Amino acid sequence: MCQAGEARRPLPLMFVWLSACLAAVCFLSLLFGAGEIGPGASLSSLLGMREGAAQHAEEAAFVIHELRLPRTMLGLVVGMALGVAGALLQAVARNPLAEPGLLGVSAGSAFAVAIALMLGASAATLRVSVAQLGALGGCLCVLAAARMRGVGNDPVRLVLAGAVLSGLLGALTSMILLVDQRTADEIRFWIVGSLAGRHLEDLQAILPSLALAGVITLLIGRPLAALALGERVAVGLGHHPRLVRLLAIGVVALLVGATTAVAGPIAFVGLVVPFAARALAGPDIRRTLWLCLPLGPLVVIGADIVSRLVVQPSELPLGVLTALIGAPVLILVVRSQRLPTL
Amino acid sequence: MDLSSSSVMSHDAPQTDGAMQASRDEAQVAPPTGSWRLPLPFSAAHAVLLDKRSVSANLLLGGLLAVVALLSLCLGSALISPLAAIRALLGQGDAMAVFVVQELRLARLMAGLLTGAAFALAGCLMQTLARNRLATPGIIGIDNGATAFAVASVVGLGISLAPPPMSLAGAAVATAITFGLAGGAGTRGYRFIVAGIGVGAVFGALTQLLLARVAIDVANSAYPWTVGSLNARSGDAVLILGVGLAVGVVIAQLLARSMAVLRFSDAVAQGLGIRVRLCRLLALALAVGLTALAVAVAGPVGLVALIGPEIARHLSSRRGVPLVGSALAGAVLMVAADLAGRLLFAPIEIPVGIVTAVVGGPFLLWILLRPAARDLT
Amino acid sequence: MTRPSYADPVDSHSQETVIATRGLELAYGHMAVVRRLDLALPRGRVTAIVGPNGCGKSTLLAGLARFHKPHAGAVVLDGRDIQQLPSRELARRLALLPQEAQAPEGLTVAELIRFGRQPHQGWLRQWSAEDRKVVDEALAAADLQSLANRPLEAMSGGQRQRAWIAMAIAQQTPLLLLDEPTSALDLGHQLEVFELIRDLAARGKTIVMVVHDLVSACRYADHLVAMHAGDVVAEGPPAEVVTAALVRRLYGIDCTLMTDPATGSPLLTNMRRTTEPLTGSAT
Repeated sequence: MCQAGEARRPLPLMFVWLSACLAAVCFLSLLFGAGEIGPGASLSSLLGMREGAAQHAEEAAFVIHELRLPRTMLGLVVGMALGVAGALLQAVARNPLAEPGLLGVSAGSAFAVAIALMLGASAATLRVSVAQLGALGGCLCVLAAARMRGVGNDPVRLVLAGAVLSGLLGALTSMILLVDQRTADEIRFWIVGSLAGRHLEDLQAILPSLALAGVITLLIGRPLAALALGERVAVGLGHHPRLVRLLAIGVVALLVGATTAVAGPIAFVGLVVPFAARALAGPDIRRTLWLCLPLGPLVVIGADIVSRLVVQPSELPLGVLTALIGAPVLILVVRSQRLPTL
Repeated sequence: MDLSSSSVMSHDAPQTDGAMQASRDEAQVAPPTGSWRLPLPFSAAHAVLLDKRSVSANLLLGGLLAVVALLSLCLGSALISPLAAIRALLGQGDAMAVFVVQELRLARLMAGLLTGAAFALAGCLMQTLARNRLATPGIIGIDNGATAFAVASVVGLGISLAPPPMSLAGAAVATAITFGLAGGAGTRGYRFIVAGIGVGAVFGALTQLLLARVAIDVANSAYPWTVGSLNARSGDAVLILGVGLAVGVVIAQLLARSMAVLRFSDAVAQGLGIRVRLCRLLALALAVGLTALAVAVAGPVGLVALIGPEIARHLSSRRGVPLVGSALAGAVLMVAADLAGRLLFAPIEIPVGIVTAVVGGPFLLWILLRPAARDLT
Repeated sequence: MTRPSYADPVDSHSQETVIATRGLELAYGHMAVVRRLDLALPRGRVTAIVGPNGCGKSTLLAGLARFHKPHAGAVVLDGRDIQQLPSRELARRLALLPQEAQAPEGLTVAELIRFGRQPHQGWLRQWSAEDRKVVDEALAAADLQSLANRPLEAMSGGQRQRAWIAMAIAQQTPLLLLDEPTSALDLGHQLEVFELIRDLAARGKTIVMVVHDLVSACRYADHLVAMHAGDVVAEGPPAEVVTAALVRRLYGIDCTLMTDPATGSPLLTNMRRTTEPLTGSAT
């Protein structure tokens, strides 16, 4: 708002720059891993050079194509989805701290999956839709809280309530896992939030809902930007704030539910990415959303690469790294004297 | 006519006569409404006031604690009647019952009782000094800091210190970071708390990082302890906590009168002759110490620190800070939660940290979301 | 004794300093708020500190109460530097009532006033006959006997402010510092508080207060300290120091000064903003 007067770097240029960075990071993601296949071997395999023992080269090809490639693809999708979901939720709640992971949306989704499994559902078929339903429940809780008197105009208090809701749902989920061994076995590795060990089929299962979310986002971009000027103004400009808000919440639920279904709950990405995007693009939600697309995967895949390297030969859950990046950003936002209302 | 000297006038009366008169008056000084005056033998002016409501609240909580404690000695995989449990405590009766009560359940009961009291007392001190009922050690990241350091010593990353000193160090570091980042408590309200949540998240992630670096069986043995459980307690840590709590309660009592004024505002407290910074620093150190020692026994069971003082505050009078009441309520909560965790899904045991999170979460939400929430204690 | 008109010139013979500043400098960080101030405030009188927003008047009051540590210079109370007084000793000599003081929920008037006895009590001396008597007197002085057991939040703004002042009375200090005691009150409640303040002064207490409203300050104070941008620009009895030039310098308004026919204190009429730009106006 205050920067309205100054000339801003053109959006397409920034988009191209960030995409180039993203491509580089994706390439790195194919090169590095926690296992024995080092960057050198990976590079020669990628370039089609078959030097050294044939078996070694085959192994490298397998690792890259069957493990690192799906993982990188997943990182791309998860990053975009979480970044966009964060930006949308922040716009709807008019709160720069509204982050799906912090506010209990991811936790709601994980909890729903745990409940469904405990009740006898099989993980493979239902996970995505159940996770999305859970995320929707979480979103509605957030929206209800944000519209309550005294909470809505206090960004920080909303975050507190969300953190509490997250903690509560997390505790309930742990309880289910403790009590029900079968559920625990099925989702033990999923519940920590990671990109490792997922398959391309998992990714295919969520693509339709992501596509739908993308289309809706394109449609509500303009009204959302108007909503940032206030409900009255939006109505005056001929928009329907309530419908727009509901659609945006639906998109957030689709995106967060889908990513949680494949990668497990991952916090803080939805805070960091829109924060950076806003810093680059300014307050207009449409510009922010475009920049979230390359920035989200940049953060997620970058964090994923680090998570493979710091505790070799084992790996760190991705959520740990995003928390290490995101928590300082959270503190930074809170520390700034005046929280901008969105 | 002169108000400030009118009281001096009464002392100006002839000494002998006045003193006798005064002592007769003192013997029957009417206490303020709702209090008992307990004269002390040193002089006529020496007396302690007991608030009727707070005393009865503490009695009630104490009674409740006795009941819950007895239940936790009786119930479990082997049922023991209350009478037999008490006899077993005294070393009489069935040898098996004596073993179960004295060797198994009593140790666990003591761990729960002491950690609950320590968490809640720390919570009450912290809420008062920050003037915010959400500012409990667990919420502002102190528990997680203590846990991260203690886990480091448990999983043995070349550090062979016992958990209590390590968790003390961790709690101190987390406190310093949170307060440093927020620029002191009490001034920025919720921002201070969200900064604390961020610090807590970092330490939580660090704990995960530590656990990821070690062999899976070591990590598994440390895991229940990171969510808060009385299962992994060590006898030494309980003993240290007991001593720390005893000292802490005494110091807290000495601070109680100043803490009561600290609730108003710094300016009012200082105007009444309280050394605000010193008082706050002492209370903070005490809260951090108690939390760290309790974390070393049971891991982070942060919500007890929030709910215990809340219950005590509702039962006690508003005049003072319910320090003893908080400790009692915290002990009741912890013992009851542990008991519930043991019994609900037996033989599977739910860690006490998860039980308190499930019970405390909705309560915390209610505090946060009710309209016109007043967060000053 | 008949109450004199509040604005009567101070009798110079009985004028005696109770609290003074010597080269006092108060700062937030490196930003000086009060500059090299030498001030002597008269005993047994009501002193009002006035000035535009941000002139440093509340900071000065905080400095007088040792709530704000001086950057340089000293505050001298009864001939002693207040930095050298123990906290409780200071609390027996001066009481400070901050602006918009907040009490814990559910506290009653009598309970609030009892807190005023804390500087005179100890852990083993929690309640004496003396305490009882002083609390009763404070209740009576503020005319709150019938409300003694009422929770603070169930009272009007004026009553609540009187309860806070009663707490300060129970501290039995010869000196009472009040920061904008009437800031959030309507006209009736303002009078209620100002009359109590005059009452206390009539009984020998020295009162120093920050007052927002110049007219009230003229009406109820014996001694006026006018501040502008961290400096004292005028000091003395209101009738003598308040001039059109002063008002213009402080607030950037032109006005006509009149004398209130009922009380003899200065009145401002025909106020309008000064048209020509002022140099060094309040930030």
